[in-house]
Amino acid sequence: MLQVNDLHVTVEGKEILKGLTLTINAGEVHAIMGPNGAGKSTLSAVIAGKDGYEVTQGSITFEGKDVLEMEIEERAQAGLLLGFQYPVEIPGVKNIYLLKSALNAQRAARGEGEMPAPEFMKLVKEKLGFMKMDASFLQRAVNEGFSGGEKKRNEILQMLVLQPKLAMLDEIDSGLDIDAMKVVADGVNSLRAEERAILLVTHYQRLLDYIVPDKVHVLVDGRIVKTGDAELAKELEANGYEGIEESVA
Amino acid sequence: MIHIGEGTRSYIVAKGISAGKSDQSYRGLVKIGPRAKGARNFTQCDSLLIGDKCGAHTFPYQEIGNSTATIEHEATTSKIGEDQLFYCQSRGISEEDAVSMIVNGFCKDVFQELPMEFAVEAEALLNVTLEGAVG
Repeated sequence: MLQVNDLHVTVEGKEILKGLTLTINAGEVHAIMGPNGAGKSTLSAVIAGKDGYEVTQGSITFEGKDVLEMEIEERAQAGLLLGFQYPVEIPGVKNIYLLKSALNAQRAARGEGEMPAPEFMKLVKEKLGFMKMDASFLQRAVNEGFSGGEKKRNEILQMLVLQPKLAMLDEIDSGLDIDAMKVVADGVNSLRAEERAILLVTHYQRLLDYIVPDKVHVLVDGRIVKTGDAELAKELEANGYEGIEESVA
Repeated sequence: MIHIGEGTRSYIVAKGISAGKSDQSYRGLVKIGPRAKGARNFTQCDSLLIGDKCGAHTFPYQEIGNSTATIEHEATTSKIGEDQLFYCQSRGISEEDAVSMIVNGFCKDVFQELPMEFAVEAEALLNVTLEGAVG
């Protein structure tokens, strides 16, 4: 589904990704772990299309299409959604309005009409309940005054409503207490499907106890140095990133 | 806003949006007459800047003829952040629609006071005016 080949990315004149290659197939859950500065957030930002990241070499294809040729919103409409590490606040714009606009934009891109309001409300309420969030949240402005945990739940709520083909979650566990993490993990696990893939970027092995990945990649200094299964994450927890660097060097 | 009688109250909400290379100014007069004992006014003047080549200025005029009156003025200036646009776009919303959404959210306080037919027209006019304002 997603193919990243020999990707080199420069940010503010500094090369962060130095030849990253990654294959993600439908139905798989991948985790990328790595020390600070390795390039984890850079990878998801580049795939999502954020400004300020220069691709100097390599390619990214999603379902056979060249991602780098697509506009930001086209990537999302194609089913590539990014869950932010630090979701931004948008005062004046209600959560429900953002959800509705996003869903209808995606439906329009697929040639479907807008979802009728009653159907939409039913869908949103169902997902809200699943994420243990109150209906009052819909009337609040996007992320305005939200705690860290609420922001992350909002990211997952959006994923549940928008049903992406590839969900990239950038450190979805940062700032969450155990209860919030369980709810978020339940939400992410409910997204697992044969036609869907999930990419988790995380620092800590703990999240992977709740969302067990099919593959774990270790990203060090801009490149994936080791790939394994869920056991690799536990190994990392025990030996740290330096342990892996040494075993690969 | 001219206060003549005792205990009169008023609320002014002014929303200005600048885009491109434009400059906007708010000039408002709050006048409290000598017999307006205990009068109150609250003026809120908000500016939204789209892009970094535009500006906003506020020139509040206050003529106070009664010392028991309370006059307040609050001014805010905000920009549509690139992060906010990226957030919307990363959910599949086009840049223009995202700007439109954020601007409408900004104007909400004013639009919801207008009669519905007028508010709908005002919103449509706002969207047309802002077409191509970004980038």
